[in-house]
Amino acid sequence: MKEKKMSAGVWVAVCTAILAVISLIVYSMNVSSAGYFQNASVNNLVLYGILAVAALVVAIVLSRVKVSGAAGKVVSLVTGCLQIAAPALLALCLINLVSGRVEGLGFIYFSNADVALEVQTAENMSSATTAITSMVCFGVSMLAGIVAAFFNLNKAEAK
Amino acid sequence: MRTRKLAGVMRGICAIMACLYVLATVGTTIANGYRNAIDDFLGTESFVTLTDENTKRFKSDYSTIQEMAEAAKNIAIREGEEGTVIMKNDNAALPLAQDGEVALFGLAAYAPYPYTSGDLKAGNDDAVDLVAALEEAGVAVNQTIKSLYMEKILNKHIEQLPNAWTGELVDTVAYDNIYVTSPGDFVDYTIVEVAPDRFEELGAPADWKESIKAGTTGIVVFARGAGEGNTYRPGSALDSQGNPTGKDPLALSDEELAVVDLARETCDKVVVLINSGNTMVIGDIAKGGEHEVDAIAYIGVLNDYQATGIVNVLSGKANATGALPDTYVVDNASIPAVVNFGGDYYADYEVVSSSGTDPRYPGVEIGNGMASSFGGADTYNGGSYIVEAEGIYVGYKYFETRYFDSIVNPDSAAASAKGATQGDSWDYNKEVLYTFGHGLSYLPYTQTVKSVNVDLSENGETTAVVEITNLSDQDGYFLAQLYVQQPYTAYDRENKVEKSAVTFLNSKKANVAAGQSAEVTISVPSKYLASYDYTNAKTYILDDGDYYFTAAAGAHEAVNNFLAAQGKTVADGMDAEAVGTAVTWNLASLDNTTFATANGVKVTNVAEDADLNYWTGTDTVTYLSRSDWDATWPINYNEVEIYVANSPRADEWIAELRGQTYTIQNNAPATEGEYKGLRFDKDTLTQAQLDNVNDPVWDELVSEITIDEAVGAVIHGGSRTDVLTNVDNPVVLQNEGVSGFTTGYNDPETGRTYKFNIHSQTLIASSFNPDLAYDWGRVEGNSGLWIQRYHLWGTGLTQRRTPYNGRNYEYISEDPMLTNRIGYGILQGCADMGILNGPKHMGFNDQEHNRGGISAYMNEQKFRETDLRGFQGGMSDADGRAVMIAFNRIGATNAAHHVGMLSKILRDEWGFTGLISTDMMNNKYYFNAESMVMSGITQVADFASGDNHINQGDGGVDKTWGYISPASVANDAALVEHARENLKYQLYAFANSAVMDVTTQRVAVWWDTALTTTTTVSLVLGCIAGLAWICLTLVGGKKKEGK
Repeated sequence: MKEKKMSAGVWVAVCTAILAVISLIVYSMNVSSAGYFQNASVNNLVLYGILAVAALVVAIVLSRVKVSGAAGKVVSLVTGCLQIAAPALLALCLINLVSGRVEGLGFIYFSNADVALEVQTAENMSSATTAITSMVCFGVSMLAGIVAAFFNLNKAEAK
Repeated sequence: MRTRKLAGVMRGICAIMACLYVLATVGTTIANGYRNAIDDFLGTESFVTLTDENTKRFKSDYSTIQEMAEAAKNIAIREGEEGTVIMKNDNAALPLAQDGEVALFGLAAYAPYPYTSGDLKAGNDDAVDLVAALEEAGVAVNQTIKSLYMEKILNKHIEQLPNAWTGELVDTVAYDNIYVTSPGDFVDYTIVEVAPDRFEELGAPADWKESIKAGTTGIVVFARGAGEGNTYRPGSALDSQGNPTGKDPLALSDEELAVVDLARETCDKVVVLINSGNTMVIGDIAKGGEHEVDAIAYIGVLNDYQATGIVNVLSGKANATGALPDTYVVDNASIPAVVNFGGDYYADYEVVSSSGTDPRYPGVEIGNGMASSFGGADTYNGGSYIVEAEGIYVGYKYFETRYFDSIVNPDSAAASAKGATQGDSWDYNKEVLYTFGHGLSYLPYTQTVKSVNVDLSENGETTAVVEITNLSDQDGYFLAQLYVQQPYTAYDRENKVEKSAVTFLNSKKANVAAGQSAEVTISVPSKYLASYDYTNAKTYILDDGDYYFTAAAGAHEAVNNFLAAQGKTVADGMDAEAVGTAVTWNLASLDNTTFATANGVKVTNVAEDADLNYWTGTDTVTYLSRSDWDATWPINYNEVEIYVANSPRADEWIAELRGQTYTIQNNAPATEGEYKGLRFDKDTLTQAQLDNVNDPVWDELVSEITIDEAVGAVIHGGSRTDVLTNVDNPVVLQNEGVSGFTTGYNDPETGRTYKFNIHSQTLIASSFNPDLAYDWGRVEGNSGLWIQRYHLWGTGLTQRRTPYNGRNYEYISEDPMLTNRIGYGILQGCADMGILNGPKHMGFNDQEHNRGGISAYMNEQKFRETDLRGFQGGMSDADGRAVMIAFNRIGATNAAHHVGMLSKILRDEWGFTGLISTDMMNNKYYFNAESMVMSGITQVADFASGDNHINQGDGGVDKTWGYISPASVANDAALVEHARENLKYQLYAFANSAVMDVTTQRVAVWWDTALTTTTTVSLVLGCIAGLAWICLTLVGGKKKEGK
């Protein structure tokens, strides 16, 4: 076995993994910072996020390993499955985060004027902004993952 | 190469479809959970209500929507007419001279509070404001001043402000200068009023004063804002420029007084209108004040049509019959409840925090901060407390009793300096401006109690016949108010039973022809004559002695009548001779049995732990007592260091502050529910069963509910009641608000939208007319039938403990019995139309500040005779079948956990058979699911829907309280049976309402279709793309190998 050359797909996958990690960091900030969503962790979100990153990393690693024959096909299929799974897991992160935040965001932004005046404190608005930023990050990660899925991670061999 | 590229494309498409499938599948679950909110937002209707017109029990009184709208409008006008209170009227300032002109001053004159539509104001197209009402009544309004205010000072315009969520610019009503509508949560309050010295700067012509003709009456209107989550902070006033003034936010500011002075300078007579639900401090303009005006009138908080009724009174078209629902004082610091207002932290509040040791949340650090006014962060919210040391002496009951004692019981130290704000010794007439029940009539009349009959059977009534004599030469409409004085005995002094020297019982209005007399009969349940003895008898007692009854135009006049009946005169210190008489009824001996049972159950203490002394183990709190006004005047308990950890009951106290009122047991298997052939429909339930909640059919019906749904339906009551699988009840939407249903009716024929939230709580209160309250309740109920909504939070009955509560405009009065009788009327009116009208917020939501967890400590006499008594009329005497519980704690116990209040009093003693809801459940650490089930809550307001289960979280546990699951409650039979019992009452309430006349059918709305289509298409295309990718990958490999 010998290592293959780095393809554009690998770079996109690497970017996706980095974006996913950033998304998880922003989400963690949302949970740990003072404000409405402090301590409001979303079940399994971190697990799904880590699995998505892991899927991308494993896919990249597999793509760097040259195998041929039946083993090569299996590696290609596994790598492809991981490329499909990664954005799906990020989509799961996104939708679970939306599910866990929608009521709170509704409370902060859509309460009647009297309550809104009271609830829209600097801390809560910061918390809401971070939650939305986290959603956007997961959304962008998911889109990047989808784009990555279109690319082959290993460069085609010269004929 | 092409195959390789194509494989990549297929893999990419598969990834897209996988993402879409995940988003659509989980999104569908989320959408189902918030179906109500999405429907409201998108204007869709996921449930179609079907009514069998032939068999329905509740039918509207109106055959057309136009009739319905007209009836609603007429009620609102009557509220304005009957609720306007003439507080002061000298120099014949009112009624307005028929040929005179008026000049309107003050920002609120042109934009009365509330000036925008919303929860408080309907916003119908034909709404009438004060200026329009005056002009429609033919009153000449000075156009120069009007133009100055409307065009130069207020300059109403539309501003485009960004939506907080989308950032999209939306049209918003704005003014260049307007009073602050939301005082905020215990912060500084800016009193915005434009002083006359700025008029010319703002564009007034130099000679504008010359436009005011001789004979003009100046009408000055002042408003104060209010709102949910808002509480005024005493002494927090800022002027228009934001400079602290040191004055009370409810007192008139220097800029407001400058406007008064301008009116006094330019007009012949000056009338000030008070446009607020919070009693203002108006000594400056009252008799003897530096800025005294000719007349003052209370106009409450206006809705769409009340201005027409108000102008009917101002112009003299209708006699003034309104009366003050609250006492107006010179300085709010003279109010004993204000001494402790706001509350503060326990000295060691952090001892309640958990470092991961709470067995429900192992490993989770949970703090214990202040509660805030909306629920706060995720902590136990048990950091703050307030001591309601004033006991029963709220409002006039304090001032009038102390006045009475200053004459009859000088040994009570009534003249002490404690509580005096206007000198070295307490003097009623220096402290009080206008008492409860005060209201001047244009037409002179007398009211006299002719006879009283007291029926002391358990459900007996006290009935007084009151003669109203019209002393004028005009036919007129008049108000009669019935008051009582119960004996205050040595037994009471010994056992800490407090008695007000005067207690309002009920009132009635009647038309009386000129120069004639008419008799009205005023009744009230006799149980309200009793007092609660929490130290000795531990039940309700009736003291032996004389009970005095009188009819009077206010509490002070009533006290003077009582004093005169007891032989006192001005020579004894009375501030005026009595104008009426009193009728006496005597009880020979102490009666501690008649009201010691209620509804077949023993009445005894249920809230001893609401007393701070229970926890501290010492006499930390001294409650205000008329036995010694000086020694018992409240200290500021906010400044006392209260240590939870030092309590002999520290562990119990901490557990309660953590919301561990009940702990799930694991010792008795619960019975799983299964379908037994019973359904929630007219075929199953007979009328006899509808009339009797104790009929076995109800227990059988709820025994069908599964464990999962029984507990889930209670703790996820949501804003919509969901279908229980084996019961098949209709879904029931809950609706706001205290002014009526906020949902409108869209007339398909004309395209017009009718809004029926046209009511004013403040003006129904000052109308002192329970019959009008009933009429409004019936109209409110009718509107529900028209818009097909059957459950609303349609009135507020919390006691106005102080003037500072930001939601006083939603409540009725400082007096529990006025609240009780108005509540009775509204709720009975709604019930007669089959509408479930739940009053807010039972259980001492008497300030918004820190309401989401503050501990309100009190003794049991206060507990029973103040806030709860306000609710008792609607919940116990009327057929009210819904109630919303307060946000705060009673003692250390979340009001929604309080077994004593909800189960022992509301259910058992009062015989309440309706549904019980929490306020907004937004903190799982403060609201404890199992404790709410055990207290009797039938629906926890979590605002989601389609979620009446405890297995919707990851791993099959509850989505909010993760330690709850079908498995975790399966061995707590008591908990599950309590949940079923609670749902029995909920279903019984539905069955006795118009809900029983309908079925609801779930229909697929466009976004359902979109989600289903997306799910299916993404799944199919994903599979196809995936297969294609696999094939291409394999084929591509073969070709490569072949090469």
